[in-house]
Amino acid sequence: MIIEDDPPIRRVLRHALESDFDRVLEAGTAAAGIDLVASEQPALVVLDLGLPDAEGVEVCRELRAWCVAPILILSARHSESEKVTLLDAGADDYITKPFSTVELQARVRALLRRASVGNAPSLRIEFGPYVMDLAGRTLRRDGEIVHLTPIEWELLRTLAVNAGRTLTHTQLFGAVWAGRRYGDAQQYLRTHIANLRRKIEDDVLDPRYVVTEPGIGYRFAGTS
Amino acid sequence: MVMWPVWTLALVAVTLLLLSFRADLDKAHVILVFLLVILGASAAGGRALGVVLSLVAFVIFDLVFLPPYGTLVVRNPLDWLALVAFLVTSLVAAQLLYMARAQRAAVEREMAAREGERLKDALLAAVSHDLRTPLTSIKGLAHELSQDGDERAAIIEEEADRLNRLVTDLLDAARMSAGNFPVAPQPNALDDLLGVVVRQFAGRADRNRLEVSLDRPDELVIGMFDFVQTLRIVTNLVENALKYSPVDAHVQLSGGAEGGRMVVRISDRGPGVAEHGESRALDTAYGDTRSVSAGLGLSIARGLAAAQHGSVDYEARAGGGSVFTLFLPLAEPDAP
Repeated sequence: MIIEDDPPIRRVLRHALESDFDRVLEAGTAAAGIDLVASEQPALVVLDLGLPDAEGVEVCRELRAWCVAPILILSARHSESEKVTLLDAGADDYITKPFSTVELQARVRALLRRASVGNAPSLRIEFGPYVMDLAGRTLRRDGEIVHLTPIEWELLRTLAVNAGRTLTHTQLFGAVWAGRRYGDAQQYLRTHIANLRRKIEDDVLDPRYVVTEPGIGYRFAGTS
Repeated sequence: MVMWPVWTLALVAVTLLLLSFRADLDKAHVILVFLLVILGASAAGGRALGVVLSLVAFVIFDLVFLPPYGTLVVRNPLDWLALVAFLVTSLVAAQLLYMARAQRAAVEREMAAREGERLKDALLAAVSHDLRTPLTSIKGLAHELSQDGDERAAIIEEEADRLNRLVTDLLDAARMSAGNFPVAPQPNALDDLLGVVVRQFAGRADRNRLEVSLDRPDELVIGMFDFVQTLRIVTNLVENALKYSPVDAHVQLSGGAEGGRMVVRISDRGPGVAEHGESRALDTAYGDTRSVSAGLGLSIARGLAAAQHGSVDYEARAGGGSVFTLFLPLAEPDAP
């Protein structure tokens, strides 16, 4: 399901998505889009931010209130703070215009995969040579235990359970430091991520599992 | 300044009026009426007028309304209390009114500035949207064509990317010249910064020309910088280095900590900038021999570095080429 006001971009999107979906629906305005999502209940919504008839954040919030499908945001704007607002409002991921078709397809597949396993929470997550045992709270690489601090484990668990989703700094902080007072410690989130990477990534300068979204947060790309 | 004679006259008129039935008056009547005049003067004419009138009224009160009349002598010692209390009250009132005014003026100025900033942001967002929308369909359609095997389509896609980078630089420059480039330095890992640079260049045909390394791979360097803006600096410098080096030459990007600062170096084998003089090189960036976008990139890099207490230096490289060095503060080492 595509909600985008520019016809040429709609055409590009439809072509890019046709390989993964049997049916691709299109709407040119927020109002028409919301109606279509309600009546057709699509598996995924691609939502453009620059719609003529409504603010992107409002559309996102309204959809999220009753729609369970992943929402992927398309944005031509610059501002990281706006993307953070959208993700906090319930969007699952975003991609910036002009986007690469390959990247778009990869993001869409990651969201679909997560949506399909989301209903049956598993106790094991596998990525690369790693196996996470969520009940035993252990991470093994080729059978060998990798020692993580409690905060590093929680960070990795939160990211891996939400694989494919971009989590904002605030969302990650809320999940890992739940119950603690929100404060300066949030800035050390980045330091913990850096330490975690040094334990699990083969090359910290080219991370495969925990990917940085500059100015926004982090995304787990491990299982894709 | 027209307020000064007006309020002085008002004080004189009030004094004459009160004088005409002085015998029936209590001290409190005089004090309250004088205070009203001083409050009015402070509100209309400012602090200086209020203070001067307070002092004048103080003297008049003593001369005219406290017996013995016509002298500064005060017969009843308790009258001193009234006199001093009057002076203090009027001075404090003048000062309070002045502060309230100054505060309101500051709030108004700030609101005007914020409104201007909001308008600028809205305009830049609209320009950004209008320029990127056609670029998006050009890039997307070129990708479809390239899948049909047309090699020219790949070039269209890359050129669309190039145009997009230019749009980004132009918008950045517009923002910066408008003084609208907020930086929010936070503790960030050098690993993370270089990793994102690698990823940004990963999709490009010349990605193999970029060699990235850490000076000491075992050491975790945490700098105090704004991640997004610093990423812009490094990306701009790497972009320029790749663009102006011979097509088979590599560009080295390395990072570490030296002398209490975080350091990122970009070394190329380009033509160098020595012929322009080193300081000018950073201002106008390669002047006439190189393109506008390079100059834009460098001046943006420099402005952004300065905004977060850092700097960008240039040196000629031994054996030909340039080394650009970005210095940024390290984070305080109290991180858990």
